[in-house]
Amino acid sequence: MIEKKHIPHLLMVFPFMALFAVFFLYPIVSGLIYSFHDWNATTQMRFVGLGNYERIIASRDFKKAMWNLGTYIVITVPLGIAVSFCLALLVDSFKGFWSNFFRSAFFMPVVLPMFLAATIWRWIYTPNIGLLNTIRGWFGLESVQFLNDTSTMLYSLIAVDVWVSAGFNMVIILAGLKNIPKHYYEAARLDGASKLQEVFYVTIPMLYPVLFFVTTYGVISALQVFDTPWLLTGSSFSDYGGRQNALLFPVMDMMGRGFGELKFGQASAYGFLLTAVIVVVTAGMFAFRRKGYDA
Amino acid sequence: MAQLEIVDVSKSYGTVEVLKNVNLSISSGEFVVFVGPSGCGKSTLLRMISGLEEIADGEIRLDGKVVNRVDPARRGVAMVFQSYALYPHMTAFQNMAFSLSMAREPKALIKEKVGRAAEILRLEKLLERRPGELSGGQKQRVAIGRAIVREPKVFLFDEPLSNLDTELRVQMRAELIQLHDKLGTTMIYVTHDQVEAMTLADKMVVMNGGIIQQCGSPLDLYDDPDNKFVAGFIGSPKMNFLRATVEAVHGGRITVADVGGGGRFDLPFAGFNASVREVELGIRPDYVEIASEVGRPGTLETKVAFVEELGDVTYIHTDTASGERLVIRSNKARYRGGAQCVASLDPAGILLFDRSGARIRSTH
Amino acid sequence: MSASLTMIGQRTQAAGWDFSVWTVLKWAVAICLTVVAVFPIVWMVNVVFAEPGVPVSINPRLVPTSFSHGVEKIRMIFTETPYLRAYYVSIAYSLLTIAGVLIVGSMAAFEFALFEFPGKRPMFAVVMLSLMVPSAVTLIPRYLLTADLGWLNTMQGLVVPGLASAFGLFMLIQFMKSIPKEMIEAARLDGASHFQIYLHVALPLSKNALVTLAILTFMQTWGNFIWPLIVAPSPQLYTVGQVVGLFNAPFSHVTVDVVMAANLLAALPPLIFFLLFQRKIVEGIAMSGTKG
Repeated sequence: MIEKKHIPHLLMVFPFMALFAVFFLYPIVSGLIYSFHDWNATTQMRFVGLGNYERIIASRDFKKAMWNLGTYIVITVPLGIAVSFCLALLVDSFKGFWSNFFRSAFFMPVVLPMFLAATIWRWIYTPNIGLLNTIRGWFGLESVQFLNDTSTMLYSLIAVDVWVSAGFNMVIILAGLKNIPKHYYEAARLDGASKLQEVFYVTIPMLYPVLFFVTTYGVISALQVFDTPWLLTGSSFSDYGGRQNALLFPVMDMMGRGFGELKFGQASAYGFLLTAVIVVVTAGMFAFRRKGYDA
Repeated sequence: MAQLEIVDVSKSYGTVEVLKNVNLSISSGEFVVFVGPSGCGKSTLLRMISGLEEIADGEIRLDGKVVNRVDPARRGVAMVFQSYALYPHMTAFQNMAFSLSMAREPKALIKEKVGRAAEILRLEKLLERRPGELSGGQKQRVAIGRAIVREPKVFLFDEPLSNLDTELRVQMRAELIQLHDKLGTTMIYVTHDQVEAMTLADKMVVMNGGIIQQCGSPLDLYDDPDNKFVAGFIGSPKMNFLRATVEAVHGGRITVADVGGGGRFDLPFAGFNASVREVELGIRPDYVEIASEVGRPGTLETKVAFVEELGDVTYIHTDTASGERLVIRSNKARYRGGAQCVASLDPAGILLFDRSGARIRSTH
Repeated sequence: MSASLTMIGQRTQAAGWDFSVWTVLKWAVAICLTVVAVFPIVWMVNVVFAEPGVPVSINPRLVPTSFSHGVEKIRMIFTETPYLRAYYVSIAYSLLTIAGVLIVGSMAAFEFALFEFPGKRPMFAVVMLSLMVPSAVTLIPRYLLTADLGWLNTMQGLVVPGLASAFGLFMLIQFMKSIPKEMIEAARLDGASHFQIYLHVALPLSKNALVTLAILTFMQTWGNFIWPLIVAPSPQLYTVGQVVGLFNAPFSHVTVDVVMAANLLAALPPLIFFLLFQRKIVEGIAMSGTKG
């Protein structure tokens, strides 16, 4: 099957495929095996079947994390995309230098390493002396413990994530906007459409594939949310998730079980549960899209 | 300079046969043009000669040596591509020098060889430019220069002029002929344009459906085609074809009837196989005239469909009673669509084909 | 006739007025949003370049007040904390990762984009499927594997496991697909070996994609927090992110302005990169979004 002439090709892909096999495929397979065992890296592995999965699903933390995740996604994804879309329209309405200027400005938060964005926001959210509470003070409002009050914690997190990711999606949507042929707008204008009607009847339908990508990608990454809440709460394996676990999310829960409690079997199982959720959600979104196209 | 032999070469992609038992021999210094409609296998054949396409069945011999398994770079062939395939990140000089620098030739030698090629192609002043800064014609010349530098035994051209505009194409054709005269190297050229093929070729190879239909000098092919495909492919406007039945064969002549739905012709023809009844007449528009009187032998009544006036010559497209198209060349007559007209066919220009498309030749 | 002319005149005038309200509004919104997006960074700069001891709360500083104090804080961070070493580690980590991702990825992309060979389709399918798998799933077993290899607290432990970037491969393949086949064939006829074609033709032609991927990889590596945290917990291999984490820890005894100085230093390389290469970055992201 493999002839001499194929050897150079195979040699060229070998480094990538070898690294990929060792550091991606092997971990997946071994992870699957761990997930059926009770194991803390030092003791003997003990087969427990689906025990890990059952224990996770039954645990309070898991339920809390999933509940938080659900709320988080339902708000963050639509809000984030709406903001990105408006930013893109805004940037697109400028020309030349200013278009570039505002694009760069809105993109700035994306450039910051996540750990930095989180630090900045922690200071902004600081009770009494933080930026936000200082501003509230000017209006005579009392200081809020944004990151320690279970009623505000999730929204504080969402604000940070929207701030961080809006610029990223904006750039993608902007590229999509540029790809819409001008004559669609000209035709709409000749038909007497207003600016708002242009947005709803030309821009959004023409942008459908891009918006779909942004949404799907947004949902997939939101399902894996970890960095921001981790950094906004204790940021250590002994302290994470915040007060009453109000900012506990599945990946964080998984990491805690793995590196905090050294339950590597359970943590692996957690990873596969999460993958299953992601695959189901993604598949669902693609199925939904196809319907949309056929209609 | 090299002699090239192609022996029993076939090629198929999956179930699609693109070349069927091709045999061809090309002598040293010849300018050979492969011509045919797209998908006829001409490019595949060229790519097999170059070595870019594997030869599974048959043999290709260069100067008597089988080159089937020889690496493309070692065959002594150079190729000029339709898209020029110049490297955009290199200057014209670097593009032309690429093969030499791959072979680690000394700098001075590279400079000398590239310089010589540039001189032949009048590229001296453009050597430091990148392809993006060159016009289409200049790019094409650099691409040819890259081939010249390698001093190949055989030049291969894959539709090299089809990205140029008409005027430039005519000019480049002339330059290619001069280049061939100057270098005297074997050149093989692929095109779908029969005019280009006619003007360039010493030897023209007409291909269709993976088969060589005929090969020979352009004028031989024009005047004496082996089959209906070659007859129809070469010449513009195309040869007219009219179905007919052979009525009588008598001493060096034959009589055909039902030409174009009613015409009757008496043609000189020796050695006709009397068992053949159904034939097709082929006649170029040059041999068809407007006749003044109706009913004379050798004439047909037709109806004008439309008229192409090209200035020096006018082509009158007419429909015969049988619905076949007959194009008449005329340099004076003015006709309008719908008018009746009488066409007179010169028997000297009539070729005979059987119903399978093969030529029936007279034995004189 | 004249009546209709006036009407047209009025309408265009009305439209013009309308337009200017729209413009003013547009500018106001754009400027406000710019403040929201950029202010935290400006604020960080201002906190650093201010005299120490002044509580942050008194006024959210709008301008830097003391340049020399800022420089002094930065000097202090570099000399009295392991920050400089962390900088070296982060830069080495980033550069090695970039080099590895580009070399390994471009070699594979060259093949996947331009040639046919046995096993190509299944290999490609598996790599693309891996884009769907959350990185969290492989994190733990990958960590355990790295530990088994004895690579904890080593540079290779940081770098090597991240080199087979499916995203990078995908991006390079998309780009290399646009290299005309004839160009590869011309090089082959010119006597270039397979590897020479890659080196002299494919790589220079993919320069744009390579630069974009390098920048994106840099941004990602520089900001990578979790992998260094678990694989290289030793202070010897602290990355900038981890050191900043130390500064940020709730009970660290340094003052706000020093913390911010540490953060600012960490933000500097990506910010500079962004300002230098913003077009490439934006194009790269847009490309992966609209084509993917």
